[in-house]
Amino acid sequence: MEESSYTGLPTSHLLGSVPAVVTEENNASKHVATSANMQIFPPNNGGDRGPGYNTLGSPTEAFEQQPANNWRGVFSISSYSEYFNVDTDVVLIRLISSLNPVAGDFFSKIDANPDLYGLIWISTTLVFVLASLGNLATFLMQKHVDNSTSWSFDVSYVNVAACSIYGYAIVVPLAYYFFLQYMGSNASLIRFWCMWGYSLTIFIMSSFLLIIPVEFLRWVIILLTGVASASFVALNLRSYIEGNELSVAIIAAFFLQMALAIFIKVWFFP
Amino acid sequence: MSHSDTIPLHPSSQSDIDEIENLINASVHQSVPSARPPSPPRASIPVSVSVSTAPSPFISSNLPPPPPLPKSSVSAVTPSPPPPRPGIATSGFGPAPNTLTEPVWDTVKRDLSRIVSNLKLVVFPNPYREDPGKALRDWDLWGPFFFIVFLGLTLSWSASVKKSEVFAVAFALLAAGAVILTLNVLLLGGHIIFFQSLSLLGYCLFPLDVGALICMLKDNVIVKVVVVCVTLAWSSWAAYPFMSSAVSPRRKALALYPVFLMYVSVGFLIIAID
Repeated sequence: MEESSYTGLPTSHLLGSVPAVVTEENNASKHVATSANMQIFPPNNGGDRGPGYNTLGSPTEAFEQQPANNWRGVFSISSYSEYFNVDTDVVLIRLISSLNPVAGDFFSKIDANPDLYGLIWISTTLVFVLASLGNLATFLMQKHVDNSTSWSFDVSYVNVAACSIYGYAIVVPLAYYFFLQYMGSNASLIRFWCMWGYSLTIFIMSSFLLIIPVEFLRWVIILLTGVASASFVALNLRSYIEGNELSVAIIAAFFLQMALAIFIKVWFFP
Repeated sequence: MSHSDTIPLHPSSQSDIDEIENLINASVHQSVPSARPPSPPRASIPVSVSVSTAPSPFISSNLPPPPPLPKSSVSAVTPSPPPPRPGIATSGFGPAPNTLTEPVWDTVKRDLSRIVSNLKLVVFPNPYREDPGKALRDWDLWGPFFFIVFLGLTLSWSASVKKSEVFAVAFALLAAGAVILTLNVLLLGGHIIFFQSLSLLGYCLFPLDVGALICMLKDNVIVKVVVVCVTLAWSSWAAYPFMSSAVSPRRKALALYPVFLMYVSVGFLIIAID
């Protein structure tokens, strides 16, 4: 009897103590989970607030320091927001300035705040206008010649317009940037993209006039548009480039713009 | 003397036996409370009875009391495991079958109902239009994907030549367009959730989808122009509050113009492709 009683007591004690330990472990694990949840929330809040603070801070820094040091990597959207730091009225002023081919003061107007908004959306608008009005103009001309022609939409106009306009708007300023860097002049790629982008504005307006199905009138309109746009580019480039030995580059820019105008006429408004 | 010697020994052994019984009862009490609270008093009563009924001359009466105590403890322990285990099991496995074992049709039906409710919130009048957080709280990308593919297929079916190229242009215009429009708002300093914006722009295509379907069935150019103008205005009206509230008022036109341009492009494709 004594032996049995002694054996039973320790067993009951062990059984009694183990549940308590298990309970404590459960509580500890719950606390750990709670703290983990608490740790998860702050990074999200910080991440959400970070862009906000950066957005608020970047304009100030942009105004204070022209070489703004807000680069946060290729894949961060806030790295590029300084090139879109424009308001509606600023863009409208620049659009109106781009229609004046003889002023030559576009770079002084954009001063320290060049933008890429104009380049992107003027090019996109021009692509759409050329693709749509080009089809319409082609149809009108064919109907003018052959009255029984039926409407047929050529979707390849979209591809040609996109490749040509985007290619021109990106490659030509890039080529001039590297050329001027090579020649020793200080050049800003963003300013070049901005200037060449706004120079395409006049083509959008002339495209509506090019719908008129008169061949001679179309040539007159496109040549006037080409000369105006080319003058805008050449005169602004001349005011930007200081040396006189780079006049060949200015003349080349003039003829490149004329080439673009003629290409638009021949391909989209035959 | 020998008799007197034996008599004192018996009382001491009896007291030892009583102490052992008390210890056993105490251990039983410790285990019993967790199982059944009412059982301890019943167990204690027999102990006192046995003590009171145990006179020194009756030694054999000590043996019967121990057997009933373990029986009562066994009976107390037996019912304790079953009740909590089924409860835990039920609560543990409760939510799991609701999602994993449901029929596929239930899942599809739930997704479809969410798409319909999101569509109503975006393209039809409701008091939450100005607040994207409330208007499209439960955003998804199934609706936009369906509307983009539907519009691409409708346009390619309408085309008499170059069907695959028409589909490619339409799909690229809509899919890349939504992404670029969202990036445009972000670059202008706006604050929107990226995928919520994609979702909303996709839902705004619903009126143009309807317009494209009508234009595919009707071949009259005038009817096409009227239908596309109405659906274009409707899509622009649906997208306006979201985009205008995302950026500062001074840049509202810069954010809204690309959206309008995209819808005009889609509208032109609907009219032009025959």
